[in-house]
Amino acid sequence: MKVINHIRDIRLEKGITQVKMAEDLQITRQTVNAIEKNKYNPSLELALKLIEYFNVPIEELFYLEKEENL
Amino acid sequence: MKNRTLFILGMIFIVGCILFGGFLGIYIIGEETGGYMAIPMIVGTLLGVLITWLITKWSKRRNGNVPNFDERSIILMKRYLMIVLYVLLIGSGATLLILYSMGVYFIETGMLIVCLMTFYFIIGVGAFITKRL
Repeated sequence: MKVINHIRDIRLEKGITQVKMAEDLQITRQTVNAIEKNKYNPSLELALKLIEYFNVPIEELFYLEKEENL
Repeated sequence: MKNRTLFILGMIFIVGCILFGGFLGIYIIGEETGGYMAIPMIVGTLLGVLITWLITKWSKRRNGNVPNFDERSIILMKRYLMIVLYVLLIGSGATLLILYSMGVYFIETGMLIVCLMTFYFIIGVGAFITKRL
């Protein structure tokens, strides 16, 4: 099962740029891009930082992609 | 501050290694033939450090306080180095077997040094590209 996130939508909603987010969370801009495109799953530490940064519940930020046979 | 100290210590170590390697090379090939290489080597190393420092400053001004490395870069680098390890282990073993079967029983040490230098260069370029991914 793939982990999907809504980081891009939430970031754009709050008017934050990728560079600003990378600066605030001390990660590279490439990592921000990879997470937003669901190409990289952040570590638990970074995921918790993201939740705190956007101030949203975890289920709003990350969820598991539902498989059709389940 | 801790990162800055580590960066400076790392740079001193790298420059030290470059200079030591250069002087060792000059000592091995002989003072008479290699003596004139000392000044270009020192100047080249210092120019390299200066260019790296200028690029770092420019990058900081352009991207703000964004770090060069993070958890993803480390994971990518680990994977890259693991691939390099196996490619080198299996590749060099296979090359030696092929060479032996072709009738090559001796390898000149100078050729090995050139070979290793090429490996270092390719691995370095690969690491640079991996960091940028």
